[in-house]
Amino acid sequence: MSLRRLLVLALPLAFATATLSDRASAFEPSSTECIAPANPGGGWDFTCRQVGKTMQDLGFIPGTMKVTNLAGGSGGVAFAEVVNKRNDDNNLIVAASSATSSRLAQGAYPGGDMGQVRWLASVGADYGIIAVAKDSKFNTLPELFDAIKADPSSIAVSGGSAVGGWDHLKVLIAAKRAGIDKLRQIKYVAFEGGGEAVTQLLAGSVQAFSGDASEAKGFVDSGDIKVLAVLAPERLPGDFSKFPTAKEQGIDAVGANWRGFYAPGGMSDEAYDWWVETIGKTYKSDEWKKTMASNGLAPLDLQGEDFEKFVAESVAEIKELSQEIGIIK
Amino acid sequence: MDALSSLADGFAVALTFQNLLLALLGCFLGTIFGALPGLGPSNGVAILIPLAFTLGLPATPALILLTSVYYGAMYGGRISSILLNIPGDEPALMTTLDGYPMAQQGKAGEALALSGIASFVGSFFATWGLVFLAPQLVKVALLFGPAEYFALFTLAFATLGGIASRNQAKAAFSAALGVGIAMIGVDAQTGVPRFAFGEVHLYDGIDFLVAIVGLFAVSEVFIFLEHRGEEAHAEGASKLVNRVTAPLSMLRKTAGTMGRSTVLGFLAGVLPGAGASLGSFIAYSVEKRVSDRKGTFGKGDPRGVAAPEAGNNAAAGGALVPMLALGVPGSGTTAVLLAMLLALNITPGPLLFQSNPDVVWGLIAALFIGNIILLIMNIPLVSLFVRVLLVPPKYLMPAVAMIAFVGVYGISGSTFDLVVMVLFGLSGWLLRKLDVPLVPVILGVLLGGQMEVNLRRELTISNGDWSALVDSWLSITLWGLAIVGFILPIIVGSFFRTNVGKGRSRESDDPD
Amino acid sequence: MSDRILGVIGVALAAFYIWQATLIQESFMSDPVGPKTFPIIIGVILGLSSIYFIIKPDPEPQWASFGRTMEVLFAAAVLFGYAYALPIGGFVLTTAITAMFLSWRLGAGPVQAAIAGATISVGIYVLFGLVLGLSLARGPWGF
Repeated sequence: MSLRRLLVLALPLAFATATLSDRASAFEPSSTECIAPANPGGGWDFTCRQVGKTMQDLGFIPGTMKVTNLAGGSGGVAFAEVVNKRNDDNNLIVAASSATSSRLAQGAYPGGDMGQVRWLASVGADYGIIAVAKDSKFNTLPELFDAIKADPSSIAVSGGSAVGGWDHLKVLIAAKRAGIDKLRQIKYVAFEGGGEAVTQLLAGSVQAFSGDASEAKGFVDSGDIKVLAVLAPERLPGDFSKFPTAKEQGIDAVGANWRGFYAPGGMSDEAYDWWVETIGKTYKSDEWKKTMASNGLAPLDLQGEDFEKFVAESVAEIKELSQEIGIIK
Repeated sequence: MDALSSLADGFAVALTFQNLLLALLGCFLGTIFGALPGLGPSNGVAILIPLAFTLGLPATPALILLTSVYYGAMYGGRISSILLNIPGDEPALMTTLDGYPMAQQGKAGEALALSGIASFVGSFFATWGLVFLAPQLVKVALLFGPAEYFALFTLAFATLGGIASRNQAKAAFSAALGVGIAMIGVDAQTGVPRFAFGEVHLYDGIDFLVAIVGLFAVSEVFIFLEHRGEEAHAEGASKLVNRVTAPLSMLRKTAGTMGRSTVLGFLAGVLPGAGASLGSFIAYSVEKRVSDRKGTFGKGDPRGVAAPEAGNNAAAGGALVPMLALGVPGSGTTAVLLAMLLALNITPGPLLFQSNPDVVWGLIAALFIGNIILLIMNIPLVSLFVRVLLVPPKYLMPAVAMIAFVGVYGISGSTFDLVVMVLFGLSGWLLRKLDVPLVPVILGVLLGGQMEVNLRRELTISNGDWSALVDSWLSITLWGLAIVGFILPIIVGSFFRTNVGKGRSRESDDPD
Repeated sequence: MSDRILGVIGVALAAFYIWQATLIQESFMSDPVGPKTFPIIIGVILGLSSIYFIIKPDPEPQWASFGRTMEVLFAAAVLFGYAYALPIGGFVLTTAITAMFLSWRLGAGPVQAAIAGATISVGIYVLFGLVLGLSLARGPWGF
């Protein structure tokens, strides 16, 4: 992997040096485009549209950013398209999230590897929570995990993603840090979306729920569910500040559903630097702070190399977990 | 009444010039999206989200625009179902069964007018249901766990036998085909790909829109190609009739149908795991069971047009209950609406009615307004819609085919989907030749995955104990209904039936 | 006879389906039902209903003449071609050609068909591409 990655990194460099004479000045964006690897209306689509709109409003890009929806394979179709056909497009960025890194880690994009593209920056994160119904006998995360440890079949956890998806992995990350070694025996029931998963918690079909803070907010406000732990490095701002993190309870687990962008692997360094800087400026703008607040996004400020390192670590962790539970070999 | 005064406040919000204009625009565009094959309500709403963004609309007007599109599409889907035998979107699937035969008998205008009124009745009363019953109905939604959903889907498949009465084996074959297609893709409960043959495009499964458009629209083009120049397909003007309203007697005859279908559709809509397609489907099959004494359903019975239309529009209203009160989308469209709500900084959930009353009641008032606009818009437009039949097929069918391609490609950007769609078109053409009904295929694709998933969820929760499937009174009731209402009659019926059904052809006899 | 052929194809399809279902790799964290059970049940239903066609076929349907069948297959080939050409040639050109072909084969004269093809293509492009902002395929000329 490292060799391939080196090549990928070296190639555009060579290309850039070769053409340095006729591209003396820095990168100038022309008609910018953002690929949302899903149908309109989903999270990736909103990432593209909202970031694009903010950039336009702030005058960072000429004209509007074109949003192209390229659905399929949980983002795999768009990934393959970028790697195979749009590899040297300097005006292209692609919306990504922890779903992208977990698919990459599990090899769910055939032939896909995180080194084939360049990771630009994050624009925020939605931290995970683990919750139970309001009348549940569990009051802290360790209590819940003790019950699972004693009898894994007694607790079913619902979540809005498929098995091996982010909501499932969050429970596993926390359980592992809590010292549960039989991760495979944890009962996880996949539902379509966080809303349905919370509803089944209220209906009493399952005993616990794993999801993102934003999708549970309505039920937290109404008091129907009890948040046992927030999987964030420190307490979240706003309404969620009254809930303890897992770390406070002695379980050092963080689960951030980040949102960000990657760019084609053959993007020139000038263009890469320009995008990193521009997304960074957008992230720090007041307009984006407002968008983040209204979307329930918590801060996650990583650009360029820091972001690439973050994604690499997250891919490595998910790979290890997935091997442990047997999703990949 | 508390709800009524809140509703009055809602009307104060909705009745501004801008909001009325947006509702009008939304209703119009929605009707068009619904009518065009390949663009359903969910895509229609999704397409307009960027527009709402660019216009910089605040929450309430944006929601008014999008829900008008949603309701409009529910009205519009019936148009191509009746005129072309191509469902404009998935909830309008059942309307093809009696709507198209009516059109073939020269009653296209009546069918369109009647279905327009049935749509109004369905969504009008469903919106009242939303006003008064939303908090109570949330409790109904909470009664449904995986076991109950599994029983509900079993009931839905059990009713299939009643729909395609001619050859039960072909209906079963067709439904199995559909469920088989629904199995393609990554399995949510284990994460392993099934029937994907290493093709990444198949990992997300096959979109039901691709299946509908392929089976109905593309295969219709093939049928026209095959019959070019022949008498039966060269018509057009001969099908057109003067009447563009529904006679009062027809309305009186279908009043009971609309009432029953509205209740059933609404309930199906309220259940987040069911949705509008199930609403129209259950409404049709129950109506056939209850009132089809002479076996006229499927041959142009007006009740067979009123039932699914009242049902799917009522379901559309019902689906807003879990969306607003639980934050759970009951259908693809409400999922998109929900995403929009979140983007507008509105948190759906149990407190929404208290925390954002202006948004909720403004939205409900807008639904009433949109509904009336749609009724007014749809009745005079019937005379315009039937003119579609005046366009010779040699121009109409290429346009329909191209719109179908655009609908699929414009949303997913995927050549692969187009290829799959043409394959569905060829299969649809063959299956039609062999008299295999296509409706069960689509139902299989739409509901099959849900059926399996709920079975497996329940057994995961119960640690593999199968008796958990029947351990609530609700699931026992649903199983009882399925067996007594639909499975037994087939067995008993086939015991007594002679070969009455054989040799009947689709176009032959008149329902009256 | 046609129904019997359908039955044979159906049985073959069911067998293939069940065989493929048994090949689904069982992951270590399987639920009690597993990913194979349901597809196998579906395959069995598919097979049983197909056997029924072989035993009790319906009356023979009206098949198209050989020429017309070829016509349908050729049209399908054109539509496949369209699917692949779309991202390369751009929306307006490929759509106009495809619509023209269909219109011609459905009985329009060459000139009528050309006009119809161009009208349909440009009409859809204006409505969906320009007014509604759907991302239709961009060809070498940007449309």
